[in-house]
Amino acid sequence: MSPETFEIIKKILEIVNVFFVIYLIGYSTFLFLSVVIGSSELYKKHKQEKLQNAITETYYIPISIIVPAHNEEVTVVETVHSLLSLEYTTYEIVVVDDGSTDQTAQKLIEAYNMKPLHRPIHRRIECQPEEFVYESVDQKVPITLIRKKNGGKADSLNMGINACRFPYFICMDADSVLQYDSLFKISRPIIENPNVVAVGGVVRPSNSVTLENGRVLNYRLPKSIIASMQVLEYDRSFLASRIMFDKYNGSLIISGAFGLFKKETVITVGGYDHSTMGEDMELVVKLHEFCRASQTPYLIKYANDAVCWSQAPEKLRDLRRQRKRWHIGLFQTMWKHRVLFLNPKYGAVSLISYLYFLIYELLSPFIEIFGIATVVAAYVTDLLNVPFMILFFLIYAVFGCILTITAFFARTYTADLKVTAGEFLKASLLCFFETSVLRFIMAWVRATAFIGYKHKKLHWGKIERKQINIK
Amino acid sequence: MVETLIYIYLLICVSMIVFNVVTIFVFHHQDKKLSRRSENFKQEIEDQIKHNAPVDEEYLKKKLKKVKYLTAFEKTLDRLFQEDEQQIREYIESIYPVFAYLTFEYLEKNQLQSAYFPFLIKKYGIFKGSGDVTLSTELLKLVHSKNLYCKENALEAIYTIGNADAVLEALEILDRAEQYYHQKMVTDGLLNFSGDFEELADKLWQKFPRFTVNMKTSVLSYFRLHSDTQAANVLRVMNDNQEDREVRFCCIRYFARHKYQPAYQNLLDFTQYTEKDWEYAAISATALATYPGDKTIETLKDLLRNRNWYIRYNAAESLDRLGMDYESLIDIFSGDDRYASEMLQYRFDRRNLSEQEAVTV
Repeated sequence: MSPETFEIIKKILEIVNVFFVIYLIGYSTFLFLSVVIGSSELYKKHKQEKLQNAITETYYIPISIIVPAHNEEVTVVETVHSLLSLEYTTYEIVVVDDGSTDQTAQKLIEAYNMKPLHRPIHRRIECQPEEFVYESVDQKVPITLIRKKNGGKADSLNMGINACRFPYFICMDADSVLQYDSLFKISRPIIENPNVVAVGGVVRPSNSVTLENGRVLNYRLPKSIIASMQVLEYDRSFLASRIMFDKYNGSLIISGAFGLFKKETVITVGGYDHSTMGEDMELVVKLHEFCRASQTPYLIKYANDAVCWSQAPEKLRDLRRQRKRWHIGLFQTMWKHRVLFLNPKYGAVSLISYLYFLIYELLSPFIEIFGIATVVAAYVTDLLNVPFMILFFLIYAVFGCILTITAFFARTYTADLKVTAGEFLKASLLCFFETSVLRFIMAWVRATAFIGYKHKKLHWGKIERKQINIK
Repeated sequence: MVETLIYIYLLICVSMIVFNVVTIFVFHHQDKKLSRRSENFKQEIEDQIKHNAPVDEEYLKKKLKKVKYLTAFEKTLDRLFQEDEQQIREYIESIYPVFAYLTFEYLEKNQLQSAYFPFLIKKYGIFKGSGDVTLSTELLKLVHSKNLYCKENALEAIYTIGNADAVLEALEILDRAEQYYHQKMVTDGLLNFSGDFEELADKLWQKFPRFTVNMKTSVLSYFRLHSDTQAANVLRVMNDNQEDREVRFCCIRYFARHKYQPAYQNLLDFTQYTEKDWEYAAISATALATYPGDKTIETLKDLLRNRNWYIRYNAAESLDRLGMDYESLIDIFSGDDRYASEMLQYRFDRRNLSEQEAVTV
């Protein structure tokens, strides 16, 4: 290698070096701030609730729960059963069977003695036509089953919105279980502020959790390492970034597994978009864009105590599929709403949230893989200070690990869930593994998400379903 | 520079570890102490009841003015309630003077603790129905608070005590404040008012014209859920063309729940508002189910053919509630308005299913 070439490579590596220092400082600072803000918010709320500083549980807003289902015969009956045990007075359950090829509809019809009815549906947003409608007449709350032509999850949700009767609706997955007090807790922000148009709840992996009537009987980390690591990842994500974004009305995501929406506002923006894979995020970003552009006062809140237990993938193959889908959905949403990019008209949503998602979510896998490639290049050209690099990565991993474990503790203790010393040790080791290994595997998965991607309009993300552990 | 940053992050790591350890310790320690204090209170209360001894008010005042003891006391009362509710109610009554003293103590504390005290007043029905002026007046100070929970707990306690003047003043404070309150917080809260309803209703009507729309609808909803005694005044408001439409909608809902014949013609008139103000017609269509008769049925049949989905839906529901049979609505079923017949068919099918289910059971 000529000295000139060597100098050029050295210069490039220096620039890359500076970029990565800035990039990692930005991410670490964000992570630190969000964990500190998130933890302090949880501890504050915990103290408030101990001293009964909360809206009393007597105010109920009528809510429709929409459960889109596609080939969910294994879990759908249990899911509806768990919804019937919610401690809430005024709600209805609308299950939309999106052209399942298994016994999803039949299982429900038999389990809840449902009868066929020619129910007119007020079609205010576009969706595939219904094939039949069944209703229950002898349950605690009305259950409606709508079987429709296959159109995807977003299309099913749109059908549910058209058919539901109440002014607020909850979207959830057919493999999830809502905690007994979740409806009250997710609707509390609406009682507190009239401008709330959407509220996100907390999604926690249900693998290895035993529930009875929506109450946690036994909480421990799942046996599957993949699922355990997701517990930690979810705790960090739902504790950290979402609470911080919530502070300035900048949440861009409400999980499709558990979110509450004001029906009229969602109808005004056209409902869920069935052309994207991340219909949940797309709806929230669309609500931001619409409300800010039309100068409508609005709030998108996060209820950090409204819990939904959902199955996390236990196999790497399923996790890869899920993350690929999420990443494509993220890209589609970011691209569709690119007007938010550095646009002061949209305030903090544009300048902080959108930018964060662009750099640290959408582009991060590419940046991280580029980082590894640079390290290899530097090593080959003998420009790498190996001990320093090891120290740097070690500190970075320990830092991420400690913040993750802090989030795990904050989430566990403020929810009055106890963990044993063994669980603590397991969580600590897994944190390290998650930060130093899984993160890079997922970066690769996300970076290659578009390889082999075909535009599948009617796509349903599938992971292997198991019976939910409900007593 | 990078080294410095690394050291900073290392320092943060160490701080976080210390934070976690301290948190675990504090949580564990707090729970233990709470249980111990609660156990002590339980022992003392049981001994006192057993020996029929007088309450040591000074001791309780000294202890309970500290919130950590008050939370333990609450825990104790909850446990004892499960054992012998009547006996504990009597015990609580015997310590009313302690709570009267504590009111002044807790109002001076921070908002977190101030909010806790009225919660206990409501929870245990302390001074319930007494109309205690001093306590109500003190609690009104908390209604001014910007803290929603403080405000809410104070309001709940005021409703429980049952002083109509204090309730009215609380609602006025609430209405004047710029801070939002949900209609349900007033409506459902008022339903817990333990004083003289007629006295409160009179006072509310006197102030009614000066209330905001939000407060008017809250009060009207309260009257609707409480009883049918306010119909004449509600009709007067409903007939006032200058009144806000949301307020008038509330009045229609009142007459949907409570049959009041003088309101009938107005409800029929509202069903003609099918264009711009279609909500009048839609809500009236629901209300008419309370007023059976030929005219009602004819009107509802007309509404069933309306192009507005909500008007049709409500009209079908009302015809169903009126117990109409297939033969008497044959003109709809055999007519060329498919939407009308579908809507009605659904209601009828659903009713049949419910009846079949009831027979099976």
